[in-house]
Amino acid sequence: MCFKNLPIEFDAQGKPYLRAGVANPYAPTTTVPRGAPAQLTAENVEQLLRRNGFIKELDFDPVTRVAGALAFHTVADFNSRKVIEARSMATLFRGYEVIMVGRDPRDAIYITSRACGVCGGVHSVTSAMAIEMAIGCVPPPLGILIRNIALALEFLYDHPLHLHLLAGPDYSAAMVGPTNPSLLARARSAEAPHAEVHGFRTIGELMDDLNPLSGKLYLEALHMTRIAREAYVLICGKYPHPQTIVPGGMSSTITLSVMNEMFTRLAQFFDYSKKLTAIWDDLTDFFYTANPAYKQVGSRRAHMIDSGIFDHHEAYDATYANAAAWGERRWATPGVIVDGELVTTDLHRLNIGVEEFVEHSYYEEWSGNGQRQRFPSDPAGHPLSPYHPWNKVTKPRPQGQNWKEKYTWDTAPRWDRQSMEAGAYARLWNTAVARKLPANPFIESTGTSLKLRLPKGALPEMEIEWKVPAVWNAFERNRGRAYCTAFTALVALNNWMAAMDRLRLGDTRTSTPFEIPKRGEQLGVGFWGAGRGYLTHHLVLDRGAVANYQIVTPSTWNASPTDRWRQPGPYEEAVLNTPLLEETNDPQRFKGIDILRAIRSFDPCMPCTTHIHSDAGVITREVNTCACGIDEDGA
Amino acid sequence: MRVIVAGVGYRNLRDHSIGVEVADRLETTTWADDVVVEDLSYNPIAVVQRLEDEPPEQRFQRVVVVGAVERRGRPPGTVAAYRWDGVLPADEEIQRAVTEAVTGVIALDNTLVVTRHFGALPDEVVVVEVEPAVQEFGDTFSEVVGRQLDGVCELVRLLATRGDAVEQLPCAPLGGPTAITSTS
Repeated sequence: MCFKNLPIEFDAQGKPYLRAGVANPYAPTTTVPRGAPAQLTAENVEQLLRRNGFIKELDFDPVTRVAGALAFHTVADFNSRKVIEARSMATLFRGYEVIMVGRDPRDAIYITSRACGVCGGVHSVTSAMAIEMAIGCVPPPLGILIRNIALALEFLYDHPLHLHLLAGPDYSAAMVGPTNPSLLARARSAEAPHAEVHGFRTIGELMDDLNPLSGKLYLEALHMTRIAREAYVLICGKYPHPQTIVPGGMSSTITLSVMNEMFTRLAQFFDYSKKLTAIWDDLTDFFYTANPAYKQVGSRRAHMIDSGIFDHHEAYDATYANAAAWGERRWATPGVIVDGELVTTDLHRLNIGVEEFVEHSYYEEWSGNGQRQRFPSDPAGHPLSPYHPWNKVTKPRPQGQNWKEKYTWDTAPRWDRQSMEAGAYARLWNTAVARKLPANPFIESTGTSLKLRLPKGALPEMEIEWKVPAVWNAFERNRGRAYCTAFTALVALNNWMAAMDRLRLGDTRTSTPFEIPKRGEQLGVGFWGAGRGYLTHHLVLDRGAVANYQIVTPSTWNASPTDRWRQPGPYEEAVLNTPLLEETNDPQRFKGIDILRAIRSFDPCMPCTTHIHSDAGVITREVNTCACGIDEDGA
Repeated sequence: MRVIVAGVGYRNLRDHSIGVEVADRLETTTWADDVVVEDLSYNPIAVVQRLEDEPPEQRFQRVVVVGAVERRGRPPGTVAAYRWDGVLPADEEIQRAVTEAVTGVIALDNTLVVTRHFGALPDEVVVVEVEPAVQEFGDTFSEVVGRQLDGVCELVRLLATRGDAVEQLPCAPLGGPTAITSTS
């Protein structure tokens, strides 16, 4: 059964419909998520704080080493060393959705790219795909292949950056020494099983080179971002905001010379991936062996969602009607995982299960009070919620922070009313389990793992295997991201080979001409992915102009607040499950490293997360809502 | 002496675009062979890599950086020029600067801190800052900043070509004293 909470059933042909006899199927009181964890109420927490001196508030504002503005509020029990309340706060007020309203849809490619300073290209492509769907424009095969390569290169910038610049320092000697001296002492004598691949004899040596600013791994990651960027600009013109993404493909001129230049850079990621996966395997296994409680750091239910990415050049036709079919032929299979089980790979089912709630967000409700639901069904006739992005209206309302009321600029997206997590690892998980990969010599989906055959470089040819993990936590997120670097490099290699085949056939066409219709209403959605996972842009065109534009990013999911059913967002849930393993009880010395490991393992990207509206359709000001003063305003 | 004149800022962000505008204007004028004018308004790590790409014997010996920076207690339109003393903040602050660099933030202070930390800057770094009045989308300057544009271009040209002018500047930390200062 695909949906357990929403009253959606399927007929004999697999077409979804709303169960008969449910008067108000999407009402929050009608459809309640079952079996979900719940935050304590604000009153409960207040009482606990008043009565127990060992229960203390811990605020992280800002959370450093993340992209953008994230603050995190926790209440921790220092006797049981557990977190009893966790609140994720997107503190920056920005705006894209309503900036887009009234504009020519082509502007979306350039404007939404600015949502992120790392992964602008993914927004450009996702908006191009939404336009393609709305206007009926299909890129030629080479355009699809080059687009795939471009985005793979963007991820090859993103993954090393996160692993060794943002998250990596949490596992460095400089951090482990002060927080867990006995662990660092143990690491000094712990032999690294994969020393012959990464070159570090002991885990201690490895931790030394994860040190920020000076560690060799930190500096090497900076260098690798350059390699990826250089390859990217060969086809995208510039980084991070590409100039060659268009509806219907790419405007780049692709020659043999460009392909060769690109390959010399791509090839450097084969060896680098071998090294990255060996490092994160060794680190993860060391922590698990040293203290099995580390398996709880950042743990949560394996509830994941991914919109899939990297279209097959013979399958993608840009239609919504065929999205389920072309989606399943992608190099990264779309899908939804609930409690570790893959429940669908169908983009239609994925799409109709998505809703966005604003109970604890600085926005007004747009549904209820008799407003008309603009789209009761999607273009294929499947039922849509009034809370679905195609029906959403962004109505910001800045106000003070209050845990009972509103505390973040992020919304709460839910799938089948459940709190889902997005990430590079969701991409691996779906693809490993679904077994729908296109035939190729480098990547094999086994049903429980992904086997990745990395070509020879300075290191020998190597087969590595990412296995669906038995536990889901901060360490597995990082390990997954390391394996996703290898996966991404091999997807790029497959697409590079296919592109070379097209060039050999004399096919150099990378885009299809198009016109924006000036009449009628059209819907489109870009299903794509960022380095951090799931990404969708939902577009409504009206007489040639954007009537509605809604972006849901991976961090919209991950940083989401507690919802109206008290179900925490993924960061919050992961932190609530995190034991405090730091070797101190002294609040002055306590760094909250385990909490930070839990949060950073998601690779937070706050610039993408929050989107504003202003009546003029332009940003008129930025508001930074500081987490200080919570006590005064909060319940 | 090889000199690079670098504009730092965002395009279409009104007063915060002054560094870019100055670089654009000066790029189109005639310079001696040993002066390069560039817009360095991108990821400071990439700026490090750009500066390190110069062959060792041709590394820049002076950098003149120009951009808008908000400092407390300075009236909008203030122009401040100084030789940066090159003193870096604590490691934690440098880490923050690197994080912002790789995640897309473009700011004059960040660019200087990151490029200095990674050894890409010459000893002689001249900073020309303009205090902005507005930060919003648009391709025009506020009146107070717009009034300074020609003067800033002249000042930057002077500091790029005249060592004696640079020597007259105070040596100061980031945001430091206002030896050549104008609010008119």
